[in-house]
Amino acid sequence: MGRLSQDTVIAILLLLISGGLMIASFDIREPDYGQLSPATWPRVIVGVLGFLSFLYLVQSWSATGQPKQADAEEEPEANGDTLSTGARFWGYWQNVIWCFVLFLLYLLSMPYVGMLIGGVSFAFLLMSALGGWQPRQLLLHAGIAIVAVGGMWALFTFGLRVPLPPGMILPRF
Amino acid sequence: MVADNVALALAGIAAFDTLALMIVGVAAGLLAGAIPGFTIAMAVVLTLPFTFSMDPAQGLATMIAVLVGGLSGGLMSGILTGIPGTPSSVATTFDGFPMARRGEPGFALGLGVWSSFCGGTLSAIMLVLFAPQLARIGLEFQPWDFFMLVMFALTVTASLAGENMIKGLIAGAVGLLVRTVGEDQAVGVGRFDFGIDPLLGGFDFIAVLIGVFAFSQLLSDIRDPKSARESLSERGNVRIKIEHWRAIKAIARRWTTMIRSALIGMFTGILPGAGGSIANILAYDQAKKASKTPEKFGKGEPEGIIAPETSNNAVEGGALTPLMALGIPGDVTAAIMLGALLIHDVVPGPTFIAEEPVLAYSIFIAFFVANFIMLGMQSVMLRVFVLVTKIRMYMLAAVILSLASIGVFALHNSTFDVWTLFWFGVLGFFMRQFGFPLAPMILGVVLGNVAELNLSRAFAITTDLSPFVTRPWSLFFMTIAIFSAAFPYFQSARAKGAAWTRFYFPAVLIAVTVPFVMMGGTIRPLIGAVCFIAGCYLLFRRSKTTAAASDPAA
Repeated sequence: MGRLSQDTVIAILLLLISGGLMIASFDIREPDYGQLSPATWPRVIVGVLGFLSFLYLVQSWSATGQPKQADAEEEPEANGDTLSTGARFWGYWQNVIWCFVLFLLYLLSMPYVGMLIGGVSFAFLLMSALGGWQPRQLLLHAGIAIVAVGGMWALFTFGLRVPLPPGMILPRF
Repeated sequence: MVADNVALALAGIAAFDTLALMIVGVAAGLLAGAIPGFTIAMAVVLTLPFTFSMDPAQGLATMIAVLVGGLSGGLMSGILTGIPGTPSSVATTFDGFPMARRGEPGFALGLGVWSSFCGGTLSAIMLVLFAPQLARIGLEFQPWDFFMLVMFALTVTASLAGENMIKGLIAGAVGLLVRTVGEDQAVGVGRFDFGIDPLLGGFDFIAVLIGVFAFSQLLSDIRDPKSARESLSERGNVRIKIEHWRAIKAIARRWTTMIRSALIGMFTGILPGAGGSIANILAYDQAKKASKTPEKFGKGEPEGIIAPETSNNAVEGGALTPLMALGIPGDVTAAIMLGALLIHDVVPGPTFIAEEPVLAYSIFIAFFVANFIMLGMQSVMLRVFVLVTKIRMYMLAAVILSLASIGVFALHNSTFDVWTLFWFGVLGFFMRQFGFPLAPMILGVVLGNVAELNLSRAFAITTDLSPFVTRPWSLFFMTIAIFSAAFPYFQSARAKGAAWTRFYFPAVLIAVTVPFVMMGGTIRPLIGAVCFIAGCYLLFRRSKTTAAASDPAA
């Protein structure tokens, strides 16, 4: 997707969000007391956001035909024509996708495995996904994950007396 | 009374556990600053959860220690590897790295360390002298003035944060919007909760800050699989000894550069949104312009290290001044400090220094002490830096993400805060990718409540909108907000040689005359008169130059 069309898409998305939030602001209850309605300030901001998004949209249109700006990071060209679009996409975004997916899994599994096991597993899996799955690396990643996350868990639990969430499977951790 | 408060504050900071925490904080800051991709703001925001169980003075002293360490840490990697550890040490590499490569890394480091110390100490003095004075002025502020001050802070941040002003303003508006979610402060009515119970409590702004800043930064750092697996240790020589005495003598001979750079740093710090990343380049540029041998810059000139390192450390004293005096942070790290104060139920504002003198003096003293600790710790941390540079970015990212989730959970023992961290991390990452600056958003999140609360107070007094233009301070902030909004257009038009840009600064000077005159008394109308005369003089001179340039016969 080209830079200009990308700006246009974001501007339209922002306009839609502004519109949705403006409609949602009419669901805010109006109490009989107080000078400033609780909906006024959010509406002002949403209005400003909508106006700015419109200006952004106009700006993205008016920039059509001009050379691409170089401020945003561009996706690299494929290393040869043999790579498919999907492979290029994966090559560029794989680390970020790993991070999103594993963190999401960590959050979803937290009620079952707890913060200690979940945190150690997340750190270990993320390091291995990003750094490699060789046996020596796995050992190193496991060591780092246990020492760093386990140490921090111990510091919060025993040092700072902050109870971190245990899991259903192993209720102590 | 003042002496008692200072003594109490000093006793608190000089306590063994506080000093030990500050030493650890400076060490952590030095390392964080030295690791490229690991920003100072990220280090400070990640320190925040550890300070919950401490008393406010101890917690803030620790965070200040991290901050001061971080400001100086960037020079280590910048000088030794040529890769600036933080954006605020970019200019240090221009001369620091060439000096290190020609065989003088110890001297280069010495210049950097002592310049950082001088910049930090001078800005600490300014903080002590100016914050109480500014707070006195702040006592004159009414809700209209505070509201306009927040708007000014957001506009300036948006105009300075990126090359596209509209994107900056959108980011600021998104930040303000994030703070409207949940029950409103005045009457407790739920807003934008969409029937989801945890949303009624709103987003915890520390979780938002860590998500937007730290999470998204780490994602950006590891985005490229090749650089995520790289470590710094392959580059540069890091086994050296700092030449302290030679550096002190060199700085003493160039004291004007040091003072000028410190002033640039302090002024940039006071300006909302303009931090060390701008100050170090500005100071380097001015040092080069003022030098008799500008051709030596870029080849290992000592002034090329003194200027950026003095200015980037002087920034924080400037940024903390409006925070302590008015409750308005000067940059992202000061915004995080504001978060730390709020967590401990301390609300900074014009009465802060008078109402919480021990805490205020503790901040002043901690700032001084942290600079001395930094001086002592640099040599030690240089050795640890060698070890840290062997760590690969992906390992650091995975561990920090896990630790951030633990820290964020500890805010309120709530898993919802960890979800907040995740979603705002995703949002922050995409904002970075699409070129939206994060600083206005963070300021919007931090100041959103202040703006709404003051707007609500203003409406409780009167529904008349005229005080926004009839109150001098409100008009003053509105005027400079309008001019700061036009600043990016002024810059691009000036680059194209547009004639109207010649009249921008005279117009600013003439426009601010009105609120100064409205303030009454003797000094402020006099300042207004001086601004007016200076504006008219500039206008006259520039009109003549423009006329001469457009007259073909001339």
